[in-house]
Amino acid sequence: MNIGTRKILDRSFTAVGIGSIVVMALALMIVVVPIVYNGIGAVFFTGTVEHRKMLHAEFKRGDSQELSSEVASSNRYRAKIYDMLTGFEAELETMTPEKKAEYQAKYSQVRTALQALLGPLPGDPEPMLTRFKYGQTRWDKAEEKLHDLLFESKWDNSNPNVMSKEYFVSRAIGFEGTSLVRLFPYVKDNFENMLLPEFTFYWGFITDSSVDSHFFGGIWPEIQGTFFLAIGAMLFAFPLGVIAAVYFTEYAKPGFLNSMLRSANSTLAGVPSIVFGMFGLAFFINTMKVSESKSVIAGALTLAIMILPTIIRAAEEAILAVPKTYREASLSLGSTKWNTIATVILPAALPGILTGGVISLGRAAGETAPIIFTAAVSVGSAIGLADVFSSPTPALSWNIYNLASEHEAATQLRHVQYGMVLALVTIVLLLNLSAIVLRARISKKLKC
Amino acid sequence: MADESVGERNRSNAFVVTARKRTLQKVAKTAGEGMLFSVAFFVAVIVLFIFYFVARDAIPFFQICGFSEFFTSTNWYPADEPGEFGALAIIYGSLMVTLGSAMIAVPMGVAAAICLSDILPFSIRQYAKPVIEMLAAIPSVAFGFFALVVLAPLMQDHGGPMLMWGWWILVSPFLLLSVIVIADLLTANIKDEKRRQQRHWMLLIALGLFSIFLLFKVGSVLNGIQILTGTNALNVSIILSFMALPTIVSVSEDALQAVGRDIREGSYALGATRAETIIKTILPAASSGILAAVILGIMRALGETMVVWMASGNSSHIPEPWFNYLEAIRTLTATIAGDMGEADQVTGSARFHVLFAMGLLLLIISFISNLVSERIVVRQRKILSGQ
Repeated sequence: MNIGTRKILDRSFTAVGIGSIVVMALALMIVVVPIVYNGIGAVFFTGTVEHRKMLHAEFKRGDSQELSSEVASSNRYRAKIYDMLTGFEAELETMTPEKKAEYQAKYSQVRTALQALLGPLPGDPEPMLTRFKYGQTRWDKAEEKLHDLLFESKWDNSNPNVMSKEYFVSRAIGFEGTSLVRLFPYVKDNFENMLLPEFTFYWGFITDSSVDSHFFGGIWPEIQGTFFLAIGAMLFAFPLGVIAAVYFTEYAKPGFLNSMLRSANSTLAGVPSIVFGMFGLAFFINTMKVSESKSVIAGALTLAIMILPTIIRAAEEAILAVPKTYREASLSLGSTKWNTIATVILPAALPGILTGGVISLGRAAGETAPIIFTAAVSVGSAIGLADVFSSPTPALSWNIYNLASEHEAATQLRHVQYGMVLALVTIVLLLNLSAIVLRARISKKLKC
Repeated sequence: MADESVGERNRSNAFVVTARKRTLQKVAKTAGEGMLFSVAFFVAVIVLFIFYFVARDAIPFFQICGFSEFFTSTNWYPADEPGEFGALAIIYGSLMVTLGSAMIAVPMGVAAAICLSDILPFSIRQYAKPVIEMLAAIPSVAFGFFALVVLAPLMQDHGGPMLMWGWWILVSPFLLLSVIVIADLLTANIKDEKRRQQRHWMLLIALGLFSIFLLFKVGSVLNGIQILTGTNALNVSIILSFMALPTIVSVSEDALQAVGRDIREGSYALGATRAETIIKTILPAASSGILAAVILGIMRALGETMVVWMASGNSSHIPEPWFNYLEAIRTLTATIAGDMGEADQVTGSARFHVLFAMGLLLLIISFISNLVSERIVVRQRKILSGQ
């Protein structure tokens, strides 16, 4: 090959390598940026008067005087809509039966759309579920619902070869010639006056428990459950892992038994996380009966087994990184081996061991599969510390899955899901960042 | 004076070792070591327990239904009476997404590892490593959520153009390179310098035109594709490759670092460029370590649950044709996670035990690949230290 081509190949080889690192950084950005952007929207958003009504009724928060004046002013604008509705209902009675049937169907659609937008209309029975007691609490959702009110969505199936396409028809056209046709421009023009949007910082998203399976309220039970599970797992795994690491580094003699134990450790590290969940179900719950059914303790034990190999490895590395001179100095002063380990080596290795522990804590907090069968429930309130032995808990990781894929209104609750994902990712990444910083400081210290 | 004498007495006491004290020390030492050993042994016991308890609930399934249906049939109707438990399509789905993610993650991961160990200066490497660690730390359910809520609708609505742009961006640099290299190789034997130059340019232009034609032809075909569902094998493969990448990068970087400086310097001294050094000497020397990294990365993808459960579509059939990555599939892990809730109530039925059979299958695959990768690493270390 000529030298120019070789140079080009060399350069492009470098480019491929750098490119793939850039792609990895991009992948991290592409995943994290939408989560952060939309997740912040769960806490900072433009809230409507319905949001403030809900906060006052469900959480006793907010100034009731200010609220009642706001409600009064929004009701002034809403009253006109209600008048139009009653007017149209009267008009319906005067129509011929065929026409009446035709309009009745369209009218009930309009009513449903209005209910979704503004909450229960006058004359409606008191709704059973909290989600129907209020109109749209968020301005962005309210705008979507306004669109639903103004336009009817239809599907175009005319071409069988391509996927059917959605298109929108104005509802006002359907009511041409009746009194209700005035409703649509009115709602559009007075939309802000009816909902009174205002920038809201809803810190309660972190500290409130959820109302009516996450339609309103916050995610505190999930955050608390995640902490219980992760810290519970650490309580079991950390002491065991450090002791095992001390054995492996200080006492184990090379031989068949030792290599077998090491194989067992790496096997445990490679077991798929869902298999841990099955094992937790079969062993801790069905055989050991640590609890009647799912419980925090069963989940924590399962997670502990999962993170044990990581902790052992990190602790081993930290202990091996302690300079030999420390050990020799201690032994030459006449202390015993055990004394050396307990007073010299472990304190010196502690930051490194803690780094591994913090990373494992993050892993335990983020893992879902092991807790599906052992600890997680989809709905529930925050549990007390005394209940960890008997009751299951909601947890961020599981509830993200549950809300996003199994909840009956998954597509309406995207902001809650994003908020949960952001909370989980923040917890895990903060733990990891602190581990990275900790490690950087240790390596500086050991260099000096 | 008095102080000194007290100190003297204490010290002399400290060094007097009576027989009783010695036995006590010995007993304490053995007991302590025994305790440490038993904790370390606990890990092995856990592994045995996992095998035992998963197998204990898996074996009844094979007793009820035998092996042949599970591995050969694609009829998965566990809720029927009597149920049908053909898991072939599910196993196939698992293999499909694993292979798909490996095809993305292995070249990228190895290239990134080479870059980290041989190309980038230390100062940049310091910042690249935390990025990789962060990617590894993001919880799987966050990836799954991203796949379901962001990537799947994107694919469904803009599938064709996305595929076309992906094809252009990925393939055009490689086509450009191969045009240059092929033109160079084909004209290398021509002695006459002037003629060689002439031929070289002609070939370059001809091949260049051909590759531009290829780019646009395939691109327009891809542009015309409509993806019916965004929750498909391609989506899952892309996300799983993000998850497997950190493992592959860090393990293969260790393998590359283990290859000593002397080999590199020998190659440079012979006049090889950096790319030639890496491809012809370092990669072969580190190949077994990289293989171990690939196995570990693949295992991460095979054992992953949440992403595939949320974003693979969970439909138990073999795609038509068999390599169609744009169809929904179902995997072993997602089946276990999804069906356990329904099967749990009737402990003892085949429907419950079949899930444990799947778990056992996963467990055995992961056990074997772990052993293999471990052997490979040990052997590489021996060979490298022997040199």
